[in-house]
Amino acid sequence: MVRARGVASGIAAALVWLVFLGPLWALLAHLSLHSVVSALSAPGALDPMAISVEASAVSVVVLVALGTPLAYLLARDRLPGARLWESGLLVMLLMPPLVIGLLLVFMIGPATPLGALIARVHLSATNTFLALVVAEIYEAAPYYVLGAQAAFTSVDPRLEQQAVLLGDPPRRTVRRVTLPLAAPGLAMALATAWARAVGAFGAVIIVAYHPYGLPMKIWITLNETGLASALPFALALLVVALPLPLAAYAWSRHARR
Amino acid sequence: MLDVDVIVPRRHFDVSVALTVASGERFALFGPSGSGKTTILDAVAGLVDPIAGHVTLDGVELFSAEAAGHRDRGRRSRPPVVVPPWLRRVGLVRQRPDLFPHLSVEANLVYARDRVDDAHLARLVEVLGIAPILGARPAGISGGQAQRVALARALATRHRALLLDEPYTALDATLRRELTALVRSEVRTAGVPAILVAHELGEAQAFADRMGIIDGGALLQVGAPDEVVRLPASRRVAELVGYRGFVPLPGGAWTGGRLGVVAGVHPQRVRLGADPGSGPVLDASAVDRRPVGAGWGVDLAVGGSVVSCLVADDPPSPGTELSVTLLDPPLFTATGEAVGRSVTGGGR
Repeated sequence: MVRARGVASGIAAALVWLVFLGPLWALLAHLSLHSVVSALSAPGALDPMAISVEASAVSVVVLVALGTPLAYLLARDRLPGARLWESGLLVMLLMPPLVIGLLLVFMIGPATPLGALIARVHLSATNTFLALVVAEIYEAAPYYVLGAQAAFTSVDPRLEQQAVLLGDPPRRTVRRVTLPLAAPGLAMALATAWARAVGAFGAVIIVAYHPYGLPMKIWITLNETGLASALPFALALLVVALPLPLAAYAWSRHARR
Repeated sequence: MLDVDVIVPRRHFDVSVALTVASGERFALFGPSGSGKTTILDAVAGLVDPIAGHVTLDGVELFSAEAAGHRDRGRRSRPPVVVPPWLRRVGLVRQRPDLFPHLSVEANLVYARDRVDDAHLARLVEVLGIAPILGARPAGISGGQAQRVALARALATRHRALLLDEPYTALDATLRRELTALVRSEVRTAGVPAILVAHELGEAQAFADRMGIIDGGALLQVGAPDEVVRLPASRRVAELVGYRGFVPLPGGAWTGGRLGVVAGVHPQRVRLGADPGSGPVLDASAVDRRPVGAGWGVDLAVGGSVVSCLVADDPPSPGTELSVTLLDPPLFTATGEAVGRSVTGGGR
């Protein structure tokens, strides 16, 4: 009985791998080492990767700095109109990225008051590095904030109360109790946000066609020279996007034990 | 000394309580679930803010706010005083031990660092037998061990008051007795006021010098642990402390001539047979009997209601007609107010 169940669950796992990761196998099957090396060793070929990593790193830093306190306040119901904030985040999560891009043009495009304000400090939020970061933040923010909120909600508030009664002011309580206990969930939220930011495309193609990050590079290569030459960049994108989430997953599994 | 006089709004009622606990005194708050016991502890600890009243500990005002009505009359009122909980130095042990799961038992014990009395902690670790688990994480120890650690943490940290919110409820009887005895002596030695919240009368009585009966957010009676059971101030208090039935007494010597008086029947204060010197004697018939602990529980039909009593031996079989004596029962008017003891025959 137990054995039969083990076999059944093994088959199910194999099916999941086949169905969901089939395209990944296909990608690896269609790539030769030679094509990858020649595509990525061309002059300037690694620039999109650098741009993607830099923009995503900036986005994630901004998200952690602003999103973590927001997520904590939402989790502890300490924000006036908390449900409104949550709905806003859900709308961001559910809105097609392409639409986010269009709306961003209306919000921070050069002809808008905000765009004009940005122009005053000699910056622009269209087709610049800043625009890329903004688009990535918009696509990744709900994943980080809602994930971090869930992580904080999982911390028993009674433990925080106990820390406070043992003499820790709120900030020290956050540092000694809340953050360590929420860390596995926060790591997962951060990793998801990273993967979303690195892979952001829908909003990016509207407001930040330049400078090319990896997703734009894939899109342009696909259009200009076809699928085969875009595949090495697809592999590069996976190599950039996936290790952090996988490491975070492994660590959070370990930390929760 | 801890002086509490607060009004804390809750969803269905306001908790409005005034009580004083001397240094080194053990006070128990006894009442049913949802009666507002924990709210009072939270107000003392600073985890909830009352809308009015004051909390004073050793002469230091921890909380103080005037009722809104005073301000409405245009008086110049003092701004409210709210000392935050991390400065109050009030220890709280709850039913769930609240150990930090990411820290070892030892790190939990010394969490408050500069407030921990190391020598005292070492003694508690020995007395409570938690030395072998100091390196373990809370997830790896039993519930009883976790509660001992929580208690050791609260007792080894220098607090100015100790609050215990049903800390033993999940523990077996032997450990409960052990820990109660330990806390009693610790409170005496430390000389701090201690409040225990309990919904089991025995637990409250085992702990307290004095206890308060609370129901619906109001303190109904405060007295010695035996006094609140022998002399309940109202029929509601009597119900809460274990009086299971209320039977009408005919007007006569026991009621001081009053009519419409009912006597509270406590299962442990009923004697089978007539003993007119000890209390009113009533006609009864046995309805049912069953083993209770080392003796018997007997259900008796008395004056139209069924009451339970406990006897050591020879429980009457169902259907037996007999006389029973209520041992010095508390008496109440039809509206539930106490009218005094039957033997003394008058009001208190």
